[in-house]
Amino acid sequence: MNSPPSKRVAIVGAGIVSPLGFGLTETLHSLRDARDCVTPVTAFDVEKTRCKTAAQIDDSRLLPRKNLTRREQRLHRASHMVIAALDELLQQARAFKPEIAIVGTTSGGMTFGESFYRSLGHGGECAAAWIANYPPQKQITDALEKFRIEAPAQVIANACASGSNAIGHAFNAIRSGRYQRILAGGYDAISEMVFVGFDSLQASTPEKCRPFDANRSGMVLGEGAALLALEDFDSARARGAQIIGEVVGYGISTDNHHLTQPNPDGSGPRRAMEQALATAKITPDQVGYINAHGTATAFNDSAEGKAITEIFGSAVAGVAGRGVPVSSTKSMMGHSLGAAGAIEAVVTLLALQHSFLPPNINFKQIDPSIKLNIIANDARDEAFEYALSNSFGFGGTNAAVLLRKASVEHGRLGWVDACAPWGT
Amino acid sequence: MTIASTSWITPLGSDRESVWQRLLDGETAPIETLSNEQTRARYLVRRVPPQATAHLPPHPRLRRAGAISRFVAAAGLAALKDSPFDPERTALVFAISNGGVIYTRRFYSEIVESGAQSASPLLFPETVFNAPASHLAAILGITGASYTVVGDGAVGILALKLAEDLLAAAEAESCLVVGAEEIDPLVCEAYRQWRLLRDPDRPQSTRGMIVSEGAGAVLLRNSGGDLAIAKIDPGTNFFRRAEVAKKLRRIVEQLDPEVGFCIGSANGTFIDQAEQLAVGGHVPLYSPKSALGDSIGASVLWQVIAAAEGLRTRKLPGETKPLSGPALVLACGLNQQLGGLTLTCSNF
Repeated sequence: MNSPPSKRVAIVGAGIVSPLGFGLTETLHSLRDARDCVTPVTAFDVEKTRCKTAAQIDDSRLLPRKNLTRREQRLHRASHMVIAALDELLQQARAFKPEIAIVGTTSGGMTFGESFYRSLGHGGECAAAWIANYPPQKQITDALEKFRIEAPAQVIANACASGSNAIGHAFNAIRSGRYQRILAGGYDAISEMVFVGFDSLQASTPEKCRPFDANRSGMVLGEGAALLALEDFDSARARGAQIIGEVVGYGISTDNHHLTQPNPDGSGPRRAMEQALATAKITPDQVGYINAHGTATAFNDSAEGKAITEIFGSAVAGVAGRGVPVSSTKSMMGHSLGAAGAIEAVVTLLALQHSFLPPNINFKQIDPSIKLNIIANDARDEAFEYALSNSFGFGGTNAAVLLRKASVEHGRLGWVDACAPWGT
Repeated sequence: MTIASTSWITPLGSDRESVWQRLLDGETAPIETLSNEQTRARYLVRRVPPQATAHLPPHPRLRRAGAISRFVAAAGLAALKDSPFDPERTALVFAISNGGVIYTRRFYSEIVESGAQSASPLLFPETVFNAPASHLAAILGITGASYTVVGDGAVGILALKLAEDLLAAAEAESCLVVGAEEIDPLVCEAYRQWRLLRDPDRPQSTRGMIVSEGAGAVLLRNSGGDLAIAKIDPGTNFFRRAEVAKKLRRIVEQLDPEVGFCIGSANGTFIDQAEQLAVGGHVPLYSPKSALGDSIGASVLWQVIAAAEGLRTRKLPGETKPLSGPALVLACGLNQQLGGLTLTCSNF
């Protein structure tokens, strides 16, 4: 098999909407402030569920009342999330014309599907907009239409790894020389069916979300959208685009242990992380931060913790140093499923650019079986060049995306200028 | 990118050559009427007979799996039956539209009717889009890349494009692409309310779509074999039905305007006329959906297999003249996606 060319992949724009905030600056402030965005669920009745909280996006900000066309008024709120993220991205990268959009989601406009189902019980015809705007590919095509971008939409539905898989596959596609520019990311909006689903599995918690804590009891759901503008590095530099980071590695593996539970030996996540490091041709000690999948379920955190310590060393003094700093930002913003990998890639990018370690909040006591260097409760200032973002999902999908900080040799630097207060 | 092997699970059978021969003979899959207990509406459907998946091995992953996962397993195993493959160097790409909707409806109906405390933890995992791909990966021992691609009736084109990119980037030595769909009254009702279905009292009409189910699979490699997917155009999105013909025409021009025949996606809706306009009257045009129904997530895979069989036999249902190559596959979905690809056969 001939080796394909190995191009560098620049990030030339990013956009994000999550419970942490609208846009990069708000997100950065929330991460620095260790903001807990988890609140009681208001979108549907949670009287009969065990878990009653989630991290939700404020609709009064998401759904503007003015300047919407009639067509836009009918769109699902997930579409509005993607539109907001793309709007922010295009403000940084106005000349960015993607050849394809590769995005991840798990349920698209699921709440419209729920409304459709409920309407059938009442015998009438439902709103046509529910049917047309429910499918999971519709939210990205709505955003592409809004900004008149002519590009096909490849929608990856690899459960909770979808967003990372989308970014990772986009990285490989540019790296192989087959594409110059790809819009990559993910989105998901909270819905009753998915909320109850995780509750039925007792994967979600009635308490605070405490990833890697000895007393962790499960996840809370979140929602949001995040997009990255990825471009062949030489192309971006030649046209004078501002480069805000690089994707340098990606790993994907499939764990066949169980449909919903990882192999306890951590082999699936380990293979994904090792592959990401191998792609980037760097050693584990060069990685300065890991944004963990860290759902706070007993099984995930145990398997992921084992995999991280096997590759990066243990946090126990005298064994292998302090270990790489690790946090799960899901503790602040919940688990946004198909969007999580994309949102956390943007979080990781912010950490690289602004030289800080995002916190793992609600943390009290390390699980003695997980020997990680957890960034407990407060953000810490620290500069580093490489950071890893992990996402794992139902079906045994494991993804790891490795990012590199933008540096002076990249040419025109972005972001640091845009968010100067954090650097000064 | 070459096609090492193909398989399909259709309402007209599951043997590749015999199903094609039956299509050439003008046979169509039986039409059944499905009733919706909730709305009392009726729908015309084409279903896969139960014996199509009866032979599956007793794998633990299939114990609770729904119909769609069983279709996927049957198609995937059949495609690999005579093709040696290394599971550690084989990627899996799965195309889907509505997904495991039977379990999804059951799961959500329990929530609506009995409350959230009644929701089944056994059903929920099977509602996830990538559950069928996960089961197939477990059965085959695939441990590397596995991607589930979701979209409308054109999703198979995007899945094949993803497979092409995986092989081109040397991420895998071979790639198994599977598309599948299962029938449920909930999905039929959505299409009915969207005014896309065939009138249940007029089964012989050519207007309106008949929903079907099943799976299709192709095993792809970078080289080897006579059949090849020469070029894939993942297309773009259409935002108004009036622009479909123009956008399909652009795909035809970019792929190869001199194709010998076209396997289209006409299903009794606005797509029929748009494809005719895009292809032009001089190119033989056939849609397997006319005989097999519209299996949405599986449909492009069926189209690719039909195109491959057309190249192999040089025949097309309804055509008396021998075919010339290459073959064009055009796909237009009902929800904004369209694309196409060309197939060649070195022995043609």
